[in-house]
Amino acid sequence: MAVDLEKILRPPEAELPGFPPKFVTLASGEDMVIRQVSRDEIPDILPYIEPLIRVERDFYHIVAARVYAELLSYYTHRVQDEYVLVAQINGELASVVNGRLVNNDLGMSYHTMALRRGLRVGAHAFAAKMEYHMDILGQKEVLIVAESPIGFRRWMIEYKLEKRFHIPHELGGVPSWALTRELFDRARQSLVVGRRPVPEHLLVRAKTAILPPSDPPTPPTDLLAATRSMYDSTATALIEQRRRLGDI
Amino acid sequence: MRDVYAVGIGITSFTRLDYPLVEIAAYPGLMAMRESGLEKIDHLYVANMGASRINHQTGLASAVIDNLSLTPAGAEAIENGPASGASAIKQGYMAVASGLHNIVMVIGAERMREVNNLEATDYVATLTHPMAEYIYGVTLPALAGMFTRLYMLKYGVTARHLAMVAVKNHRNAMNNFFAHLHEEVTLEGILDSPEALTNNPIVADPLRFYDCCPVSDGGACVILATGDIAKKAGKPMVRLAGIGQATDTHAVHDRKEPTDLLAVREAARQSFKMAGIEPGDVDVAELHDAFTILEIAESEEVGFFPRGQGHLALEKGETSLGGILPINTSGGLKARGHPVGATGVAQAHEIIVQLRGQAEKRQVKDARIGFTCNFGGFGNNVVCLTFVKEG
Amino acid sequence: MEMSIYGYKCIKCGHVQYPYRTICKNCHKNNHNEFEIVPLPKKGKLLTFTHLYAPPSDYEVVSLGLGIVELEDGNRITGQLKIDQPQIGMSVAGRVEVVRRDEYNKYWGIVFYPA
Repeated sequence: MAVDLEKILRPPEAELPGFPPKFVTLASGEDMVIRQVSRDEIPDILPYIEPLIRVERDFYHIVAARVYAELLSYYTHRVQDEYVLVAQINGELASVVNGRLVNNDLGMSYHTMALRRGLRVGAHAFAAKMEYHMDILGQKEVLIVAESPIGFRRWMIEYKLEKRFHIPHELGGVPSWALTRELFDRARQSLVVGRRPVPEHLLVRAKTAILPPSDPPTPPTDLLAATRSMYDSTATALIEQRRRLGDI
Repeated sequence: MRDVYAVGIGITSFTRLDYPLVEIAAYPGLMAMRESGLEKIDHLYVANMGASRINHQTGLASAVIDNLSLTPAGAEAIENGPASGASAIKQGYMAVASGLHNIVMVIGAERMREVNNLEATDYVATLTHPMAEYIYGVTLPALAGMFTRLYMLKYGVTARHLAMVAVKNHRNAMNNFFAHLHEEVTLEGILDSPEALTNNPIVADPLRFYDCCPVSDGGACVILATGDIAKKAGKPMVRLAGIGQATDTHAVHDRKEPTDLLAVREAARQSFKMAGIEPGDVDVAELHDAFTILEIAESEEVGFFPRGQGHLALEKGETSLGGILPINTSGGLKARGHPVGATGVAQAHEIIVQLRGQAEKRQVKDARIGFTCNFGGFGNNVVCLTFVKEG
Repeated sequence: MEMSIYGYKCIKCGHVQYPYRTICKNCHKNNHNEFEIVPLPKKGKLLTFTHLYAPPSDYEVVSLGLGIVELEDGNRITGQLKIDQPQIGMSVAGRVEVVRRDEYNKYWGIVFYPA
């Protein structure tokens, strides 16, 4: 009797309500569509995330490495109840956010990654994620952590997240912070922005293809330059140096 | 007093630069020497504010002169807050005009992003009065916010006018390769759309995110020299014809009329008088728009527009690229960027480029007289420069 | 113990200045330290204000209320505001409290409340 190993290895899958797509107008006047992607679209996204593993500033390397793993585990059915939302500008990938449901009431936010900088794309995408957990999935609380100081300032301080330090977060087992339904309702004005329904031409453009970001973060061209200053924390490329210069 | 000319110029991109501060300062110096054909200089002035605290480097000018292999020429660093750049140009002018030196290189450079944003903001806040302002958590945006509130009340400037300054300067920067921000912004995106409050959040009401300049790294260089040397360089002759400087109270609350920028008024007056021109003669100007309100206020205080009507001129498009007096064709501090020590020199760089006719897509037609206003602290130390094209 | 912010009264001409200046701004005639310390009044009129949403790192709050007040004796002072809906021209009354803390120190300054 053949044992279907795949069935054993896959976590049980629940039918989750989908995220109704919405759009926002950015400071540049461009419209950005935020929508949910299915497993089939993950291979389209992975090639845009991979190069960011080489960008060793602003914690892009660790966030990209983790997001890559999370997207891949979603694709290969090795994580339970994960969702992935993307933000697209003119079809180009601008942001990826993801998370999963621990149970009906508790959400676990994974990452918010912005590939287009300077237009508060990350802020819009994070807000969409919270709207998904609270308004659409009807949860009571979302657990959040931040890898970078930018994230900490934007979420923990600005939204006054509550400490849930006794709960280890799935990202590294570090103490969690929580966005409760009460905090969400209080911040609704700034958190729940965007309009629905998305105009037909924008939605079609977004759904047709996930295009590569036109100006993504890249590693520094001159790998040794930053090492000549006292603090090169803004541009340390130690791993990349070892990779590219290590043969010398 | 001899006449002083701008002989060579150089500039880096204003963005986040992964190079040490000394190299950010040296690169434009190298560019300026190559484009002017000069191989030696008599003296170097380096304008900078943060080297000792942010970049862990004191004696910056001594480091830069050796990095450029220009020893044994003398060198000094000049610190005058955000007006360091124009102050250093002023020192360079005095050295050449007095006959002490023939060729003086002036570099402005800053690497603010060596530390995180919070540290950089706090560092700039040390410009405020220690016992009367700093201890309360006052930062420059806070002072600008209080100033803007009163300005709006007194002269009818609205959030729309402030946004128009940002839109104009961002559009100008699209034609400036060295600018920090190459992203157009629209009134819809930052003011009108339902998502505007998230796109353009409040920083210090009524000032919002797109009313404040970014934090940038960058360097710029201008080489000043006598007329003979300038003629040999073979570029259009641009003379530094007027310099003005004035100070005002340290604590902003001490100003008699809080909406007045008296230091700007006086520094501009001196600069025009020395150059022998009227404000109306100016063809192109770089004003210090660390906050969008300041471009409007300065355009009135220096004498371009009557008091309280700067925002009306902006509305009519008079300060846009095709208007009668284009302001901040480079993108200004708002879009070109504001590496504190470099700004004053970068403003001079832009005016020289305009007067030489090298500004390409952002060229002001037949520009012959240019003006810069470099605003230190919150208006307590202002240096204005007037450049004139000859021949 | 009630605390005050102190102004400096010039011995030569009697002008009270705040903040401290080594030379009296009014008469320019004093010698070093020829000032008497006088407590500044705490009541005044709010001239302008702002809410700073990007406060310095020492502050863990979301926003900081700041304002410039014209005190009863004509001197102006910058201070923090703990006022819900500030209006230009409103009467305010100040109290000296801790206005800033860094790793090791407390800094005392004036905080204004509705009068």
